[in-house]
Amino acid sequence: MSRYSCWDERDTACPLLPLTLSSSIGYTSQGVAGTVSVFVDITQAESQVDSPATPAPRPGRWRGRLTRAALPLLSVVVFGIVWQLAAAAGIWNQTFVPYPSTVWKAFIDVSTTHDGVRGYAGYLLWEHLYMTLRRVLVGVVIGVGLGVLLGLVMGSIAWVRSVLEPWLTFLRALPPLAYFFLLVIWLGIDEAPKITLLALAALPPAAVATTAAVVAAPVGLTEAARALGATRAQVIRDVVVPSALPETFTGIRLAVGMAYSSVVAAELFNGIPGIGGLVKDASNYNNTPVVLVGIFAIGFSGLVIDGLLRAAERRAVPWRGKI
Amino acid sequence: MKLKTLLAAVAVSALALSGCAVDHSGQDSAKPTLRLGYQTFPSGDLIVKNNKWLEEALPDYNIKWIKFDSGADINTAFIAKELDFGALGSSPVARGLSAPLNIPYSVAFVLDVAGDNEALVARNGTGINAIADLKGKRVATPFASTAHYSLLAALAQNNLSPKDVQLIDLQPQAILAAWDRGDIDAAYTWLPTLDDLRKTGKDLITSRQLAKDGKPTLDLAAVSNEFGAAHPDVVDKWRQQEARALTTIKDDPDAAAKAIAAEIGLSPDVVAGQLKQGVYLTPEQLTSPEWLGTEGAVGNIAKNLQSASEFLAEQNQIPSAAPLKTFQDAIYVKGLPGALAQ
Repeated sequence: MSRYSCWDERDTACPLLPLTLSSSIGYTSQGVAGTVSVFVDITQAESQVDSPATPAPRPGRWRGRLTRAALPLLSVVVFGIVWQLAAAAGIWNQTFVPYPSTVWKAFIDVSTTHDGVRGYAGYLLWEHLYMTLRRVLVGVVIGVGLGVLLGLVMGSIAWVRSVLEPWLTFLRALPPLAYFFLLVIWLGIDEAPKITLLALAALPPAAVATTAAVVAAPVGLTEAARALGATRAQVIRDVVVPSALPETFTGIRLAVGMAYSSVVAAELFNGIPGIGGLVKDASNYNNTPVVLVGIFAIGFSGLVIDGLLRAAERRAVPWRGKI
Repeated sequence: MKLKTLLAAVAVSALALSGCAVDHSGQDSAKPTLRLGYQTFPSGDLIVKNNKWLEEALPDYNIKWIKFDSGADINTAFIAKELDFGALGSSPVARGLSAPLNIPYSVAFVLDVAGDNEALVARNGTGINAIADLKGKRVATPFASTAHYSLLAALAQNNLSPKDVQLIDLQPQAILAAWDRGDIDAAYTWLPTLDDLRKTGKDLITSRQLAKDGKPTLDLAAVSNEFGAAHPDVVDKWRQQEARALTTIKDDPDAAAKAIAAEIGLSPDVVAGQLKQGVYLTPEQLTSPEWLGTEGAVGNIAKNLQSASEFLAEQNQIPSAAPLKTFQDAIYVKGLPGALAQ
C-alpha cells in the first residue's frame, strides 16, 4: 500500500486534504506492482475542516440547534395564524380560503372510514399516497438508472454526447402534460403510461447532471491513475465515478423532484387511487379542503423524501465539497 | 459590466414582449366587457358566437367568449367572479347551487336537453347486452359531468351501486383511446366521441330514455346574480339572441350546423347529425311549466335540479341536498315569456 499526501500541486484544496490512497484494485495487466487505489478518503480531514466552523462553547451550539429547530416551527405557527385570520376575515368565499379546521376535518375524513364511506373515492389517504409513491419509486428507479448510465456514457465518449445531447434537451424542454395523451394512446390507462411519464420526467436531470459531472472529473486525478497504469475502465470506475458522485446525487435529487412534481399530470387519467388523482378529482368538484389535504400530503412527503435522499447522499459521498 | 448589459437586455425584451400579446378579440378598453363561458357541445351558444349576434345586439359592450372544458371549470370561474354568463350541465349547476359551493348564479336558459347525444355504450365482444351485465366491468365516464350523473342513475335503476362496477374517470378523447385499446368495456359519454364508439359498440341506454324515466340531464346557461340584478336589459338582449339561435336550429338546421361546425372544427354534415340527436326546445316550450316557466310561476326545472341535488347527495358527491326553494329562487324568469319575443 502506498500513501500519498498531495500529488497534484495545481489542486488548490490539496493542502487541506491528506489524500489517502487505500488499496482496492490491482493493476496486474499493466505490470504495476502492488495494489493502488485513488479512492479519496477524507474521514480524518472532515473533523479538521469542521472544527473551526463550529466554535467550541457548548451553550452557543445548543442555542444554535434550538434556533434551527424552532425557526421552521415558528414559521409554521405564523402561517397557521395568518391562514386562520384570512379565513375568519370573510373577504373570500369558503371555497377559496377554507378554515384550517375545515381542512383538518377533511384530512380526518379522507384518512378514516366515516358513515360507511371509506376515505376519498373508496380509498384512504395512506392508500392514495402509497400508490403514488410506488409509481414514483418505479418511475424514478427506471428514469434515474437510465439517466445515470446515459450520463456516464455521454460524459466519457464525446461523439455519443454530440449525438444524444439535442435529444435530451428536447425531452427536457417538454412539459409532461404535452405528451401524456400520446402515452395514453400508446400504453393504455393503467400503470404503464404513468410510470413511463415519471421515468421520462426523471431521466433528463439525472443524465445532464451525470454528464456534466463526468466531464468535470479532475484531469489531474485521471492522468495520475493512467500514469500508474490503470485501464480506461478502471479509471472510470475508481476515479471518474467517485468524483462525479456528488454532482450526480444533486442530479438524482432534482430528478426525484421533477418526477414528484409530475405526479398530478401522471394521474390525470384513471389516477384513483393516487394522490394526484385525488387532487384532480377533488378539484373537479371544487372541493378545496380535500385539494389542500392532497397538496399538503404531496408537499410533506416530498420534504421527507428529499430529507432521506440528503441523508443517503451524506452517507454515500462524504467527500462532497472536499475535492 | 457584462452582467449589467445582460440585465438591461432582459429588461428591455420583457417590456417589449409584455406589450405585444397575440389577441384577436378586438377589445376596446373604453367599453365594459361581457364575459361568457362556453363549451363545445353543439348548442345555440355557438351559433350566437359564430354569427356575432351579441356584438350586434350589444354594441356598447366588449363581448369576450371564453372556452371551458367542463362545468366544474365554469363553476370555478363563477366562484372567482370571472364570468357573467356560463354554459354548463344540470349536474354541475345542481352542485353549484347546493352547499358548500352556494354559487350566486341563476339558470336563465335551457340550451338543450340530452337525448341520444349522450349514451352508455358497451364494446362489442365484451358480452355486455344490458346494464345488469356491467357488474365487475370497467366503465369510463368524465367524472363530475352530466354523463357521470346519468351513468349513476342508470346503474341505480338496475339496482347496481357504483361499487359493483369499476368506474374510471376519463375525458371523452381518452375514452376513445382506451376503448380502441380494449382497456375499458363500456363508457357513458357524448358526441362526437360517442359516434366513434357506436361503430364498435352498442347503446345500453341513452339520456333520452333516462329523461323519460325522470332523470333528465340538461345543458343550461347561467347568469351571475350580481350581473343579472345590475343589468336586466343586457340579460334580455342575451336571451333574445339565444332564442333566435334555438329558432334557427328548428327552422334552418343547415345554417345552424354550418355556424356550429365553424366553431368546433367538424364538418357541417356531422354537426347536422349531432343536432338531430339532441333535444332543442322552442321558445314556447322553454317558458312552459315543464321547463323554465314564467315570472311568478317557476317551471319544473327547479324540481329537476333539486332531484339532481338529492341524487348527488345520495352518491356522496355533495354533503346534503339543498331545499326546493333554493332552486326556485335560482331560476331567472324575470320578464318571461314576453322577454323572449324577437
